[in-house]
Amino acid sequence: MPKIGNDIVDLELAKSQSNWKRAGFLEKQFTEKEIQEISTSKNPFLKVWQFWSMKEAAYKCYTQKEEKRFFAPQKFECTLKENHFGNVIFEDYKFYTKTTITSFYIHTVAENFFIKNSNKIRKFSGIGSPNLIDNNIKLKIAEKTGISFLDIEKKKTKIGAPLFNHQEKVLTKSCSISHHGNYGAFAFTL
Amino acid sequence: MTKQEIIQKLTSIVKPYIQNEEGFKNISENTDFINDLEINSANLVDIILDVEDEFKIHIDNDSMEKMMSVKETVAIIQAKMNA
Repeated sequence: MPKIGNDIVDLELAKSQSNWKRAGFLEKQFTEKEIQEISTSKNPFLKVWQFWSMKEAAYKCYTQKEEKRFFAPQKFECTLKENHFGNVIFEDYKFYTKTTITSFYIHTVAENFFIKNSNKIRKFSGIGSPNLIDNNIKLKIAEKTGISFLDIEKKKTKIGAPLFNHQEKVLTKSCSISHHGNYGAFAFTL
Repeated sequence: MTKQEIIQKLTSIVKPYIQNEEGFKNISENTDFINDLEINSANLVDIILDVEDEFKIHIDNDSMEKMMSVKETVAIIQAKMNA
């Protein structure tokens, strides 16, 4: 079943709230290969948060398939390809990621299906203000399905993943919401 | 250290990262860091490092994997302190 996950990092907040140079910070979350890549990077700070957002987006994709929660960022290993495309490997699963980096935020969308084969999957993602995410998703669903905005209802799965329903029927095949600092982001499929 | 003392110390550790004041006011053993306190997952590792410093313990990856609630975290701290 195709699933999608996403993660946003507010770079200002990441700067003020976390110190990636703190002893143990990298060692607990990143693999040796990733730490090597971070330390030789021109901008280690951005690399840390890009890898983090890739891991987190992949985790959110995985947990929609396997409904369990855990905190094991080191087990999700990132590899970067060109143009901000990448892969994350976790156990037997491979996720395909695309990251957008601006001076304000880093946003990654991860999918468990390969882009070239995904023409039939209708997927959407967006970034906005954190308190408007649910509305932004409903607006997008309303536009694509013709269902009235007011009749679309947000629900949560037992592990807390979001779903959007219309009269008890689940509309989103997969859905992921992320907020951090000044930003709220979503990715979903119909 | 009693369980109550551990929870008290843990409460001050998580305080800078919480985004849900209501959840924080009602913090108990059953509190989940992400669902109830709305702590961003990017800060979970900061909490784990703070716990290591505060309680002078080492948290291995298998333990870290489960540290998403007050209950689990307290159990891990107790086990490590008694080890």
